[in-house]
Amino acid sequence: MAIAQLRARVREAERELFNLGITFTVYTDRDAIDRILPFDVIPRVLSPADWLAIDSGVKQRVAALNAFLHDIYHDARIIRDGIVPGELVYGNANFRPEMKGFDPPQGTYVHICGTDIVRDEKGKFCVLEDNARIPSGVSYVIENRHLMMRAFPDLAAGLKIADVDDYGRQLAKALTDVAPAGVSDPTIALMSPGFYNSAYFEHVFLAREMGAPLVEGRDLVVEDDKVYMHTTRGLAPVHVIYRRINDDYLDPKAFRKDSALGVPGLFQAYLKGNVTLANAIGTGVADDKAIYAYMPRIIKYYLDEEAIIANVPTHICREPDGLKYTLDNIDKLVTKPVGEAGGYGVVVGPRASKRELNAQRAMIKAHPENYISQPVVSLSVCPTLIGRAIEPRHVDLRPFAVTGRSTWVLPGGLTRVALKRGSLVVNSSQGGGSKDTWVVG
Amino acid sequence: MDSLLARFASNIYWLGRYMERAENLARILDINETYARSGSGDPDWRRVLDLQADSVRFFDRHDNVDAATVLNFYVIDASNPTSIAATVRMARENARALRHLISTEMWTHLNIFHNRVAQLTQRDLRPSNVSTVCAEVKVACQTFEGIAEGTFFRGEAWCFYQIGKYIERADQTTRILDIGFGRIAEDMVDTMESVHWNVLLRSVAGYHAFRGLYPAGSQPRDVATFLLFDEEFPRAVGLCVERLTTRLSDLELRHDHAQYPRVEDAKKGLALALETGLGKRITATGLHKFLDSVQVSLGVVSDAVAETYFGGN
Repeated sequence: MAIAQLRARVREAERELFNLGITFTVYTDRDAIDRILPFDVIPRVLSPADWLAIDSGVKQRVAALNAFLHDIYHDARIIRDGIVPGELVYGNANFRPEMKGFDPPQGTYVHICGTDIVRDEKGKFCVLEDNARIPSGVSYVIENRHLMMRAFPDLAAGLKIADVDDYGRQLAKALTDVAPAGVSDPTIALMSPGFYNSAYFEHVFLAREMGAPLVEGRDLVVEDDKVYMHTTRGLAPVHVIYRRINDDYLDPKAFRKDSALGVPGLFQAYLKGNVTLANAIGTGVADDKAIYAYMPRIIKYYLDEEAIIANVPTHICREPDGLKYTLDNIDKLVTKPVGEAGGYGVVVGPRASKRELNAQRAMIKAHPENYISQPVVSLSVCPTLIGRAIEPRHVDLRPFAVTGRSTWVLPGGLTRVALKRGSLVVNSSQGGGSKDTWVVG
Repeated sequence: MDSLLARFASNIYWLGRYMERAENLARILDINETYARSGSGDPDWRRVLDLQADSVRFFDRHDNVDAATVLNFYVIDASNPTSIAATVRMARENARALRHLISTEMWTHLNIFHNRVAQLTQRDLRPSNVSTVCAEVKVACQTFEGIAEGTFFRGEAWCFYQIGKYIERADQTTRILDIGFGRIAEDMVDTMESVHWNVLLRSVAGYHAFRGLYPAGSQPRDVATFLLFDEEFPRAVGLCVERLTTRLSDLELRHDHAQYPRVEDAKKGLALALETGLGKRITATGLHKFLDSVQVSLGVVSDAVAETYFGGN
């Protein structure tokens, strides 16, 4: 296909995204602007062998995360056995002491997990980050596929591409698995902060795909530790809530008192076992940067297996070997404080000045427990349509895992692509786009 | 889904109302423009402002009542809550909250329509183009209605959509009638040329239906009777009330709601207002009073529905 033709189809496809309102919302002082996530039409292809590794690796990781969360909210064996330092868990703002001793149905804490995976220069997959709180992006995976099939009905002819349409059913099934004891036909609701939320489209999408009501805090009420929603017939019970609201805002009685998005008494109803929240409260302690460094050991500890997908090699400065290696190689490494988010305090060795390196060295020496270091990963690239040419651009991959009684991984996942030349940043807010991801078989 | 969230019931009801309102506003602007053009009476835009109860808001912003200013106010001024731009935006905001309940095709169409209306400028409202813009708005609303007819699941939500739509349509038809009669001096009603009534009938797409029923001519009393009481013409108040009542009953009969006294009373009140009928000889004031009482009764039904089903939403 000629480039001009390709570009014409892209324009068509992007207009369609806009018309369908498959957008995220950017707020300025005056307006709410709906933007589409830029979409690259050249799909990323994963071989059956690639997918086998990712699928089993993600399942393993989710199993370890759930075992870890269960452990730290019960006997904390992993801390007593000296595998993970206690202060990394108890000192973490996302650790919820209120959750101690609570048993979520099926022992599942992380029902929906997004694992950010990159491929290094040797083609090896590595996990960059676990998202065990509220991972988003799955709606784009499915909408991108629909869009591709409409814009390029001819492209996939003769190929066997794994279907992505089953996500809603799998999610509903998993959430039914974790319904409170004794509820055989649970009412599942999707809880959203409302349409000012930038991911509102996804909330709509998921509610639709599951056939579940899309509720906000103001639609729910707790009476006698049971959760109900306001319907045209008065109050109707709700048994499982897939909440797209952070722990902090869920219940002004239990967490942030100024939350207008939450439902007073929801947490108490949850602890009583009358409603299931997905994901569970307090999962944020497990997808933290500091805990990430320990994931290979956490997997080994609970599952007695080596990690199928490796971490990006991480040196833990609280450990003498890690500290020595980091200080010796600071000019070649990325050094990161563990408690901070959003890139604050990160120094990329090869791009830093001598002064910056010295300052960072001093910081690390003063508080080694606050730091980890990693090699600079040169992300793999995929061919991407840029203007009138096809050029290589860096990509990552976020597969989505759904866990009720067992774990199912949506074949493929969200491929994000850094549209700027040389950029490693794939976030939508910073000029990232997405691609359809094909698992062929 | 077995239970409809009260908030969504309210959203879908208002979606029905706003879409119907946008269509009728386009009809009202179009007919007033046409009257102005045909020289049948003054191009009296003040009348439209009165009918929509917008005079205060209008004169807060503008000094002169002329076609260009009023059209701008009613079509593209999104800061005026009664403009087509604002009405379509409200329809879209309601639909946005409802996206998981309405069909994707309904949402997509409304989204495109909204983007189109939001892009209209003063240039699009030049005199030669007003009819075209009004026609475009009408067609977009009708397309939406058609998509809803063909794709919207016939559950409880659909009932509220229909209820909103027919309350609004009945209300708007009374306003259009009021425009047609209101511009005529007292006691001059019988002397108006038939072209005046034809324009009125055409504005609600009722000319051919009317002609079929009244082949002889266009007596004002016949026109009013047709638009108020006919039960076959889709924009006649009579048909709207019949549909509205049926959908309210469906909530009990098909969707398992109890019978609520407040809604029953409101239905009866509306029926009563219509039964009063028109006097033998029709005057502009007499008709205006009658239309007013019908509008009030429709408002009572709307309030009863909101309080009974939407739980304060």
